Amino acid sequence: MEQSPAGPFIDIRGVTKVYHVGDVDVHALRGVDLQIKKGELCCIVGRSGSGKSTLLNVLAGLERVTAGEITIAGQRLDKMSEAEMILFRQKYVGFVFQSFNLMPYYTALENVAFPLSFRGMPQKERNAQALDILTQMGLETHQRHKPAQLSGGQQQRVGIARALVGRPELVFADEPTGNLDFATSDEVMHSIRDICRAQNKTLIMVTHDQHIAEFADRTIQLLDGRVVDS
Amino acid sequence: MRPFDLLRVAFLNLWRRKLRAFLTVLGLVIGITAIVVMVSLGIGIEQATMDLFAGTGSLLIIEVSPWRWIETPGGGGTGTETKLDEKSVEAFRQIPGVRSVMPLVEAWGMITTSRFTTSVSILGVDEETAVDFGFDLAEGRLPTHQRGSRNFEMVFGNWVLDSFYNPKNGNPAIDREGNSMIKMTNRFRMTFDWMNIYDTGGMPPPENYSPGRFYNITPVGRMDQMSNRFSFYSLMDVNALEQLIRENRDFIGQQPGGGYNQVLVKCDDLNSVASVKMAIDAMEYGTFSMLDAVNAALAQTRQQRMLLGAIGGVALLVAAIGIMNTMMMSIYERTREIGIIKVLGCRMGNIVTLFLAEAMLIGLAGGVLGLGLSYLVSFVLNVFREAGSNILSIIPTYLAFGAVAFSVFVAMLFGLYPAIRAMRLSALAAIRNE
Repeated sequence: MEQSPAGPFIDIRGVTKVYHVGDVDVHALRGVDLQIKKGELCCIVGRSGSGKSTLLNVLAGLERVTAGEITIAGQRLDKMSEAEMILFRQKYVGFVFQSFNLMPYYTALENVAFPLSFRGMPQKERNAQALDILTQMGLETHQRHKPAQLSGGQQQRVGIARALVGRPELVFADEPTGNLDFATSDEVMHSIRDICRAQNKTLIMVTHDQHIAEFADRTIQLLDGRVVDS
Repeated sequence: MRPFDLLRVAFLNLWRRKLRAFLTVLGLVIGITAIVVMVSLGIGIEQATMDLFAGTGSLLIIEVSPWRWIETPGGGGTGTETKLDEKSVEAFRQIPGVRSVMPLVEAWGMITTSRFTTSVSILGVDEETAVDFGFDLAEGRLPTHQRGSRNFEMVFGNWVLDSFYNPKNGNPAIDREGNSMIKMTNRFRMTFDWMNIYDTGGMPPPENYSPGRFYNITPVGRMDQMSNRFSFYSLMDVNALEQLIRENRDFIGQQPGGGYNQVLVKCDDLNSVASVKMAIDAMEYGTFSMLDAVNAALAQTRQQRMLLGAIGGVALLVAAIGIMNTMMMSIYERTREIGIIKVLGCRMGNIVTLFLAEAMLIGLAGGVLGLGLSYLVSFVLNVFREAGSNILSIIPTYLAFGAVAFSVFVAMLFGLYPAIRAMRLSALAAIRNE
């Protein structure tokens, strides 16, 4: 990672995003400036339509910005082609989904190992690495279970394991507890926080749940596409 | 992704939707079977046509003559003549693709035994090249000749023994049971001077007439009746025959310019016939090859064969569109899944190859099963074909392998567009929450 120790890990300057819906321009982001340090656990909160999901998407390289600069680990995300973006994601980014998005016909272990197959890793190595991370998530006894045989919390922990198996620097989580009940949410949030702390990962999480935001080091408040409090 | 992982994932994707995959493959099986069986019948027709001509002489032989007919506009034409001699024979030997060359040296002589006689057309052959031109003998061996010997070996034409008669009264040499009284073991003599055999009817012999000689003939074999166009001839060694022709110029007459009337050229294989023929044509000789006749006949069946192929092609096209349809549907169904694997770091190329691998597996399964069904259908057609029909369904190895390869190719071709569509799908689809 080419980066001066003092400089921010993620540097966002003047980022705007405009969606064209029919004849109407929807301004999802209206000039966001934000710096995030390595190892920080951030939570982006805001009401529905505040642009928090859009911010997450552009940071994860799933969407392009309309204007502005995004520098992550010294690389200009806004200047990358889609193919470069995919390579970047493969190398630096892990993603935790709200609805888990596990492959229903794969076992927990296969699900976790799946992203490694895109890197051309042999199966034996893949499974070893996947089992290691599943064990850290306390799911080694469930490695042969299919998602349907797991509880919601277990499924999301498999999802977290899958996001972390590629050893990314940066983990994104979009409403990671949105589909879970209160008690399970807490459990899952503990898992995600502990493992990110232990491995010094930078976590960027989106939620509208104030309680979940309390798990983070830092809360970034968005309103109408602008950062109002960080 | 590693090729094995790619295939495994592709296979699992199909396996998850077994029934649909099976139906898609079934369509392809029918398409491939249709095309293979139709093509196999086309090959059968071609084969039957070739067989029809194969009996009448070798397809590899080109007949060359000094006369060439040049068509002129308006339906007429003019003949040209080019001398055909030892030099031309040597030139033919140099053409690539020529196995051997045989000039036809012919003479007409009279053979006598006791009081009977018969006339024979004699063809001079060279023992070594004769093998290439397929002189099939019913019995015995080909004639040879020792330089200076006054005894001449001959292979009789198939009917020679049955054609002896008494020149005095015209009675055939046939006994009461209808069998020839002449045996191969008889003593035979030959002459080219008809006045040695027939009465001149009181006419005085021409001036300076000296009677033609008699030569001792030893029959060493008999031509096979059905073998080919040569069964009519009796055979002698070509050098011996040329010697006799020289000694009997007065009776045989001279060949104009000392050239040959016909030269046979045997080619190495079917592929070289056309080029050899063209080379000889360029020397301004007249040529004829049985292959010309075969090609003309094949041209007549071409339409029939193309129609058969087209029927198969339509069936395959329908199947291919079925593949495309199935894959398009599957992509829309799997939009979310494709989005997820994109977010997980699957490369663009991986997605294309993943879908192409699925298409390839469909193509492979369709091709292999279709080929199996083709063999079955072909077998049934051949067993229950109409009595007297010589058209078989033939599946040569190249058709078998070609069918499977073609099936895979078609499936992948029609899978390419869906694969590209899949690649272009947005990764965002994964995070949209229903």
